[in-house]
Formats: sequence, structure tokens, C-alpha cells
Amino acid sequence: MTERAFELTGIRSIQETVPEKKKKWYQGKPMVSVAILLLIVLGCVCAEWIMTKDPTYMDLLNYNKAPDREFLFGTDTMGRDIFSMIWYGGRISLIIGGLSTVISTLIAVIVGAFSGMAPAWLDEAIMRFTEIFLSVPSLLLIILLQAIMGKATVLSLSFVIGVTSWTSIAKVVRTEVRQIRNSEFVIASRCMGGGFFHILWKHLAPNFFSAIMFMVIMNVRTAMMSEATLSFMGIGLPVEIITWGSMLSLAEKALMTGSWWIILIPGLFLVVTVLCLTNIGNACRQQANRRESNL
Amino acid sequence: MKQKKMAYYGKKVLIFLFSVLILSITVFYVARLAPGDPLVSYYGERSEKMSPEEREWAMEKLGLNEPISVQYVKWVKNALHGNFGISFKYKQDVTEVIGGRIGNTLLLGGIGFLCIFAGSLLLGIVCAWQEDKMADRILCKLGTISSCIPEFWIALVLILIFSVNLKLLPSSGAYSTGNAGNIGDRALHLVMPLTIVILEHLWYYAYMIRNKILEEVRVDYVLLAKAKGLNKKKIMFHHCIRNVMPAYLSIMAIAVPHVLGGTYVVESVFSYPGIGALSYESARYHDYNLLMLLCMMSGILVIFCNIVSQTINEQIDPRMRAEEITEQSEVVEQ
Repeated sequence: MTERAFELTGIRSIQETVPEKKKKWYQGKPMVSVAILLLIVLGCVCAEWIMTKDPTYMDLLNYNKAPDREFLFGTDTMGRDIFSMIWYGGRISLIIGGLSTVISTLIAVIVGAFSGMAPAWLDEAIMRFTEIFLSVPSLLLIILLQAIMGKATVLSLSFVIGVTSWTSIAKVVRTEVRQIRNSEFVIASRCMGGGFFHILWKHLAPNFFSAIMFMVIMNVRTAMMSEATLSFMGIGLPVEIITWGSMLSLAEKALMTGSWWIILIPGLFLVVTVLCLTNIGNACRQQANRRESNL
Repeated sequence: MKQKKMAYYGKKVLIFLFSVLILSITVFYVARLAPGDPLVSYYGERSEKMSPEEREWAMEKLGLNEPISVQYVKWVKNALHGNFGISFKYKQDVTEVIGGRIGNTLLLGGIGFLCIFAGSLLLGIVCAWQEDKMADRILCKLGTISSCIPEFWIALVLILIFSVNLKLLPSSGAYSTGNAGNIGDRALHLVMPLTIVILEHLWYYAYMIRNKILEEVRVDYVLLAKAKGLNKKKIMFHHCIRNVMPAYLSIMAIAVPHVLGGTYVVESVFSYPGIGALSYESARYHDYNLLMLLCMMSGILVIFCNIVSQTINEQIDPRMRAEEITEQSEVVEQ
């Protein structure tokens, strides 16, 4: 009888959980892209063992040669072996991509978190500033910065690209921080006397990390592409420093002689690397659970 | 109500003017503080052989030896009277130098923008219509690939194919010599630069609108419309797309400066005489007056488009209004 008192009328029917088919660990992950990217990175890291020629040696007898058995990818207009240059130069291209991303992410996280934690008027001011910063054409900014830093080196170029590409990440960080800045754990940490950077690294960063992961990977690819564009236009690295971009700066001469290998091969490597990065980035962006379409 | 509206637009104008002021000061100072010799652009090679007295005289003549703040005030005064000074390199009024070239850029950017505007809308709708089917997947893959190709490289490849090997299209300039007035010739020169401008941006915006439509399709009213018996086509075009349009317009407002700015690299690869190549030159050779005007033009365009897009957003969706959001959040805080 006592049980009647506890009888529930509208019990929610318990959904039967269909045991999901166990997924293989590689399913839903861009394994092909990861494999290709690893291959390229490995090749660049171990360039010394792969290279068949000295990439900086200018073989004046064999300049502008089409690919053949001796020069696997041909030689450029200065007589350097392209096959060796690809691996040797890829190293610098990848370093620039990584380094400038580290720089831009650091700036973005600090500015974004600061802006998110700041009072409304300061926040508004900082956001306006980033907008104005965005409105200066980045190419112009890069030229000016390059002029200030003097002759372009790997470090200075990564710095310049990093400094000009932090705004979009900063905006995302700011929105995320604004959402969680009044959470109990942040207030508690503040009450216990945690400094700005302590709160940032210990409490805020783990929360927005996944949100910016995608953009960070995208930044690597943008950085590599800007390096190539800049070097191609003659504002980036000089021809002596071999990268995929500076290899393409010989393209004008190559066009006149119709030597396709000088243009196509470094470009293809760049595009494939960037494509792999994009695929990995897309996979990182957690697929929002889409409901069934109403249509 | 009317007063409130006036205040609203007044505030927008004030923000615009303030942003322009800050931008002009920043560009002015940065350009002048950047190391380099502005005399090179005026006197060319000769400037290296000048004696100190001659240099002094030249700097005086160009008005470059005063403190930067004084120069800036002078520049603003002249600029407000419509006098932007002369270009050091071309020894002409800057407005004339730019006027001779801006048409080319506007033609390239304008047609490009229109194509992107229509094309991405179309592509987005097609993708959303065929969601997760074969066509959508193929288009998405192709789009991702196209977004990964640096524009200068695809330009080179196109030149290699169409100019060097097939000899179909010209590889540089806006018209062949002596054919300045020939429309067909100009169109032929536009084909490749235009293709690249479009390819470079198309997917970015198409993908955006695809996702917007996909979000819209999952809202409840669609279910209602379907229950009422409307067919897919009608729901899509009469309801969903109409709801997405304002957001799309605001995105496209921001896209204007992006597309125009995106012509920089293309212009330099094709040696197309537009203002992209001009800004690059002016920044490189310290042609201050030219640089200033070009920066102000592009900066004003960016700021203006941003404000327009913000206004569109706020008009559609009052929740977007920044001050109300902060007010709300302050209420929550209290």
C-alpha cells in the first residue's frame, strides 16, 4: 500500500541505448592527410639523407634542365637541383609556418583574454583598435615592418607574419573569455589572489583551447602561404635562402623559357602541405551535432 | 523615436570619423618613422651623390624636415581643401596619378565582386539543397582545394598553360599597345586576372552561405511550413533564403574591401596597371603623399563597409546592438 504514494504517473520512458558499433581508432580521422603531412615533414627533417645533390651548389653546366634520371625534378635557372631544394627548403617553409603561428597565437591569446576580462569601455576600445589594425592593408604593414627590421631573415619574416595575423583568433578568444569570466572557478581563483597570467593559463586557456585549435592550424597554412607570396613578390626571403616560396621567385624567368617544372613542383608541394593542414584542421573543429533537416 | 534614430546614426558617423582620424595619424607616423630615404623616389639614383647641403635643401623643398606633428597638421589642412600633395615619383598631383589607374582596379574588382556575389549565393544554395549528397561533397572538396592554392601560383600556372603553351590569352597588362579603346582587347586581358580574383574568394563565401542555410533549414517554422504542405522549393526560396539574405548582405559588405584588396597580388603578377601595384610601389619607395592617400582610401572603405555591415545586422536583429548586450551582461553581473 505504501508504494502507491510513491507511484509516479508520467514516467519518462527510458530510451534503450543501442550499443554503438565500436569504431576503429582511425575512423573519422583524416589519416591520409596525416600520413602525407608526416611524410613531407619527415622528408624535410631528414633532408640530408634524401638529397642527391648539394641544394646550394649552382651547376652552371646543367641549368634549366627538365627532370631526368640525374636531376629527379630538374634544375632551376641557376643550376640548382630542385629535388634537393624541395626537402632542404621545405624545412624553412615549415619553420616559418610554425614560428609565426606561435607568435600570432601568443599575441592573440593575451590581447583577447585581456580584452575579455577588461571592463566594457576598455574592451570596446581594444576591439576598435583591432578593427583599425585590420583596416591597414596587411601587405603594406608587412613592407613597413620589413623596412624597419632590415634585411629579411627567417626570424624577422616569421615575426612580421605573426604580428599581422593575430586579430581573428583574438576575437574568438575574447568572446569565449567573456562567456566564462564570471564562472565560479574564475572568481574563486581571483579571490585567492591569482594574477592575470595565472588565471589565463590555469583556468581560461583550457576552456578556449578547443575553440581556437582550428584557427591555429589554419594560421599555420596562412603563414606558409604568405611566406610564399612575399618571397615570390621579392619582399620576403632572398633567393639564396631556399624555401618553397623563394624557389618560385624564379618563376618569371621560367615562364619565358617555358620550364614548367620550376613553377609546378615547389607549388605542388606547398599546396599539398597546406591541403593536408586544412583537412586536419577541419577534423579538429568538432562537428556540431546536426539535427535532422526539417526540409 | 525620430530623435533616437538621429542619435543612432550620429553615433555611427562619429565612430567613423574617429576611426579615420586614428588611422590617418597611425599611417602618417609609421610611414615617416620607417627607415628609408624618401629622396630616392624623387631624385632617383642621383640622391645618393647629393652633398649634405643639397639634401638639406631638397628636404626643405619637400617639406620633410619639420617635426612630424607639424607635417601632419599641414597635410590635414591641405587634404581638407582637396589638395593631397604631389607624388614624389611621378611628380604629378597624387589624385591624377591614382585617377589614371583606379578605373582598372575598379573594373577588375567590381566585376569580380559581382561574380562572387552571385556565384557564391548560387553555389551555397546548390550545396545546401544537395546536403551531404554527392554533388555537395564534391563541391566541398573542390572548394577546400581551391582555398588552399596561393593565388600567385595559380596565376603562374594559368599563364604557363594559356599564354606560354596554348598562346590563347595575353599574360600581362590591361590592353595591348595602341589598343586602349578596344573593348574586346581589354576583355581578353581581363579574363585571367578575373578568374583568379573570383576563384580565390568564391568558395569562402559560398561555404559561409551554405552553412547559414543549413542552420536555417533546421528551425521550427520549416517544419510548420512542411506540415502545411508547401513543397521543398517553395520553403527554400520563399522562406529560408529570404531569412538568410540580410546576413548574407552584411557579409558581402565586409567582402568589398577584401575583394578589392585581393587584387594586389593578381595585379602585380599580371603587371596590370591598377592601384594595387601602385600602393606596393609607394610603400616601398617612401612616396609619402601617394601612400597616404591610398591608405586612407582603402582604410575608409574598410571602416565604412564594416559600419554598414554592422548597421544591417543591428537593423535585422536588435539583439546584436552592442550597447544592449553590455547592458544585459551588466544586469546579469549585478
